[in-house]
Amino acid sequence: MSGLGFVLARLARDRSALIGLVLILALVACAVFAPLLATHPEDVLELHPAERLKPPGPEHWLGTDRMGSDIYSRLLFGARITILIGLIAVGASLLVGVLAGLVAGYYHGWLSDLVMRVSDIFLAVPQVVLAIAIAQTLGPSLPNVILALSATYWPWFARVVYAETRALQKEVFVESTAALGASPWRLVVLHVLPNIASPIIVRASIGMGFTILTAAALGFLGLGPPPPTPEWGRTIAEAREFLPDAWWYAAAPGLAIFLTVMGFNLLGDGLRDVLDPRIRRSGGRHDA
Amino acid sequence: MKHGQAWRASFLGRRAGGAAGRALAAVAVLLAAALTVVAVPAQAQTRFVFANESPYDTMDPHAAFDVGRVAVRLNLYDGLYRWLDNPPALQPWLAESHTVSADGLTYTFKLRRGAKFHDGTEITADDVRYSIERILALKKGAASLLGTMVAPGSTKVVDRHTVQFSLTKPSAIFLAVVPEVHVVNSALLKKQEKEGDWGAAWLTSNDAGSGSYLLSRYDPAIGFIAKRFPGHFMAWGPKYIDEIEFRHVKEDNTRVLGMIKGDYQGTGGYLPADQVKRLREAPNVKMVEQESMRIMMFQINNQRAPLNDVNVRRAISYAFDYDGFNKEILGGSVERNPVPIPNNLWGVPRDVKGYTYDLDKAKQELARAKTKVDRPLTVGYLTGFSQTEQAATVMANGLRKAGIETKIVSELWPAMVERMKKPETSPDLVVYWISTYYADPNNWIGEMFHSGQWGTFKASSFYKNAKVDELLDVALKSTDRKVREKAYQDAARIVVDEAAGVWIYNTKYFGPWAKTLEGIRFSPIGNGQEMRWVHYAK
Amino acid sequence: MRLLALVLRRLAWFVPTLVGLLAVTFVVSRVVPADPVALVAGDTATPAQVEALRRQLGLDRSLPVQFVTYVGGLLRGDMGTSLFTTRPIAEDLASRLPATIELTLVAMVVSVAVGIPLGVVSALWRNSVLDHVVRVVTVSGLAIASFWLGIMLQLLFAMRLGWAPLNGRLRGFPPQGVTGLFLIDAPLAGDWAAFGNALAHLALPAATLAFPALATLVRFTRAGVLDVMQSNFVLYERAMGLPPSVIVWKYILRSALTSTVTQIGLLFGILLAGAVVTETVFDWPGIGTYAVNSIIRSDYNGVMGFTVWAGAIFIVVNLVVDIALTFIDPRERVT
Repeated sequence: MSGLGFVLARLARDRSALIGLVLILALVACAVFAPLLATHPEDVLELHPAERLKPPGPEHWLGTDRMGSDIYSRLLFGARITILIGLIAVGASLLVGVLAGLVAGYYHGWLSDLVMRVSDIFLAVPQVVLAIAIAQTLGPSLPNVILALSATYWPWFARVVYAETRALQKEVFVESTAALGASPWRLVVLHVLPNIASPIIVRASIGMGFTILTAAALGFLGLGPPPPTPEWGRTIAEAREFLPDAWWYAAAPGLAIFLTVMGFNLLGDGLRDVLDPRIRRSGGRHDA
Repeated sequence: MKHGQAWRASFLGRRAGGAAGRALAAVAVLLAAALTVVAVPAQAQTRFVFANESPYDTMDPHAAFDVGRVAVRLNLYDGLYRWLDNPPALQPWLAESHTVSADGLTYTFKLRRGAKFHDGTEITADDVRYSIERILALKKGAASLLGTMVAPGSTKVVDRHTVQFSLTKPSAIFLAVVPEVHVVNSALLKKQEKEGDWGAAWLTSNDAGSGSYLLSRYDPAIGFIAKRFPGHFMAWGPKYIDEIEFRHVKEDNTRVLGMIKGDYQGTGGYLPADQVKRLREAPNVKMVEQESMRIMMFQINNQRAPLNDVNVRRAISYAFDYDGFNKEILGGSVERNPVPIPNNLWGVPRDVKGYTYDLDKAKQELARAKTKVDRPLTVGYLTGFSQTEQAATVMANGLRKAGIETKIVSELWPAMVERMKKPETSPDLVVYWISTYYADPNNWIGEMFHSGQWGTFKASSFYKNAKVDELLDVALKSTDRKVREKAYQDAARIVVDEAAGVWIYNTKYFGPWAKTLEGIRFSPIGNGQEMRWVHYAK
Repeated sequence: MRLLALVLRRLAWFVPTLVGLLAVTFVVSRVVPADPVALVAGDTATPAQVEALRRQLGLDRSLPVQFVTYVGGLLRGDMGTSLFTTRPIAEDLASRLPATIELTLVAMVVSVAVGIPLGVVSALWRNSVLDHVVRVVTVSGLAIASFWLGIMLQLLFAMRLGWAPLNGRLRGFPPQGVTGLFLIDAPLAGDWAAFGNALAHLALPAATLAFPALATLVRFTRAGVLDVMQSNFVLYERAMGLPPSVIVWKYILRSALTSTVTQIGLLFGILLAGAVVTETVFDWPGIGTYAVNSIIRSDYNGVMGFTVWAGAIFIVVNLVVDIALTFIDPRERVT
């Protein structure tokens, strides 16, 4: 698609989106190359009680935690968990949400109403609370966190897809294709999906940011993967006890979360500006 | 940008000196007022605020038996006797004296005269009888202990000031546990009774006691306030505290900072070493350091394979880094305690050295074991108690190095207690403390390893050894200290040899108190939270 | 009337949505590994006693029956009893709701009072240093984990500088009050010390809670104002006789107002969700901590109670916002 080249070119001119992209690539690099980039890769599991709570220095770039493990190395491995959670949770909610939205948008009548009301139900309670309830019920572990997050994010995709599908239905080309006897699936896959790809992509990018924040909140509350997993939210909870003296212990993982989410948000904003400048209701940006 | 300027001009022209400016000024004034007001120091009446780690979710002294909520029982209620000071000694309290029948089955207590409840009515033997019956009926708190010695309906009122307990069998610890029979105002509770609940619904948020302080405010989300009860049977000295407040403050750090800033004048004395150090350095805090009796240990589920194999249990005992934990992580503020009786209590076999951190020995034991460890072991810790979390991590690390995989789980204390009632639901290993409920080895080894105790939180070892049961029974029945001491020592030797658990340390109490306070009387039972002798120095 | 039709249609869905919400939460909260009934029965209860308690609490009946009983109780205003505090849930929630309302209101006021002017100013001085700073802050606002922000604020302002209290709602017991909102009760009782105390304790949590809401508001306001400036400027130039300031005010104010109202539903969602985590960080005795504690302690009724409240409030707020929008700007109405 020449459209892709066009999109990338427009994106390249947007400085903030580029910064976002760089941040995301850095995160991926940290995650993929963690064993190489880490100064103490064994510290994901190892303890050195005699070295605990050392300030940042030449040997431990970000200091050591309460068990004496290297914070910097554990942070890098934590990136893996972050990306894993984000990708799978957003991916799963995308699949479910898009399907639901397509069904609700394409069909009219009670099925459509039902799907949208179900999604309303999930949206009625703050995502955090529902995710906490699900995670606590199933027990704190990585798969359960992903499940909880997927179960609470799909409505966002469903709504977007529903609105766009409905709008598209009124388009002449869709009506005529249907009139010519094309099957619903053909219609959806060949004609509807390509046109709603943009808002889905935008939502996915922004969704990564929200999901990572919620995952960190779950980890902070102790509902995420159990120790000694170097999950960022859990690390912050561990570090609270040692404030204000070992402040770097709490600051570092929070900063990591911040940079990661910011990356996805910036990229998402940039994508939105490029792919769908029509969407200004949510406050697109106006500068050249 | 000509256009921009034009817009700004129109905009600002309207704005200058407008409502916004006035609003801003008002907010500034309010903030200034707030800050000044906050800086103003507190009231003239003497107050004491204690920051507690656990919430006070009930004011009913018969509903809880734990150390976390002991302030309610100590300050608002009285018992027949009371444990005071360190080493703990039993002192007459509501009772002046007692006699024991020759067969050890009948205990007769003479109550002192003139002791009154907070509402002015006199405390009589009938109130004592009502109280023990209530405990047995509600089946909470100390009922698990008292129920093994006293049957419902067996307690007699001999006369207005004499009450008689008839035990089901002779017990060396009955007297030690009698302080937990907190005497409640039977007339008051009978009026508040609803559908045979013994007034439980009412007493959750109210006061039916006779203690040194009486309840004036209570909020389960915050804590309670109590005012001095001038009519308490024990005369007050010249100096005392008028109002005490016990508040739930969840985070260690908040309690420590609050002490340093002077927001609180006391808090729990079992803090991590880093925090103890910070408090020592604070100018308005003094540290009361005392030897205490509180063991931290891992209970091993002896009933579940592969933990029913003694070699596997020994391997686990060799896999915990005791020095790393006690000396490094806890900064040497605790003492290694290798047997399930506190080092500073009688009954400890002094020749038993216990297990050390030795991964080679651990692997040897595993090799010798008949049952192979083919699944990850669950290691449970208590949510909100980071020391247990750290202990679990250290254990998991050692086990991993010895070749055993683990899965760390956590529960809130009540939920963990629930799980530990049955061998099927209890985790493979659970780490927690056993504090002093009464100063006797039975409080630890007796309740931990007697097979009749299964289902209580102390006995989640689910250990069963007929010889040990026999020794523990002998120790409970006899009142001869020498006989009891030998029995406990022998039992301890067997239990250690069979590695029925992993015993880590015995605590010292490092109690932070406001420097200006005096009269703090610490006892391992009660943790120094009895306020009746405490007062400000000046 | 289209408005009436809209309102009626939305109201018709209110009840089924709420019931559906209850059903979902009911199922989620009942599927718990630990058995809270045994917990409540106490350390030494025999299995027979546990079962007796279960029967007494009605938890031995099938799930659908339990659900119907619960909803029936709701209609009578009975939310059940907390398995842990043995107090009625409605009472528990009512005692904690004012704390959350106070925090959320203050955060809302702060974000509106700071956010809208910032957005307007940022749009007027577009591409200036101030604008860039504001936009950086805005983007950060939605990227910072609010629990981390709270902790960092505590670190700096409470621990290091000692300017604000570390946590909690008040030092000591609250003023005897009417509303449960200390900022109102304290002045009513003439207790200015308590007022200042409460305000000081509100500072950090409200700031933490307001930050993402503020960021969102600034973005929308800024976008809205820029919209107005660009689309109406020609109109302004051509307008005859009308003072520019009047037109400016009429359009800018309207657009700013539209932004806010459009986003109040969203804002409220952010604030309520943020409240849950923020309350936990600051030990704020509101329904957020209650919800988290109930979930962690498997207190079914507590979880359900919170969901009913939060869900109902949410749905109502969104409905009100939709209605308000049709009055302010018929164009913006979402069909």
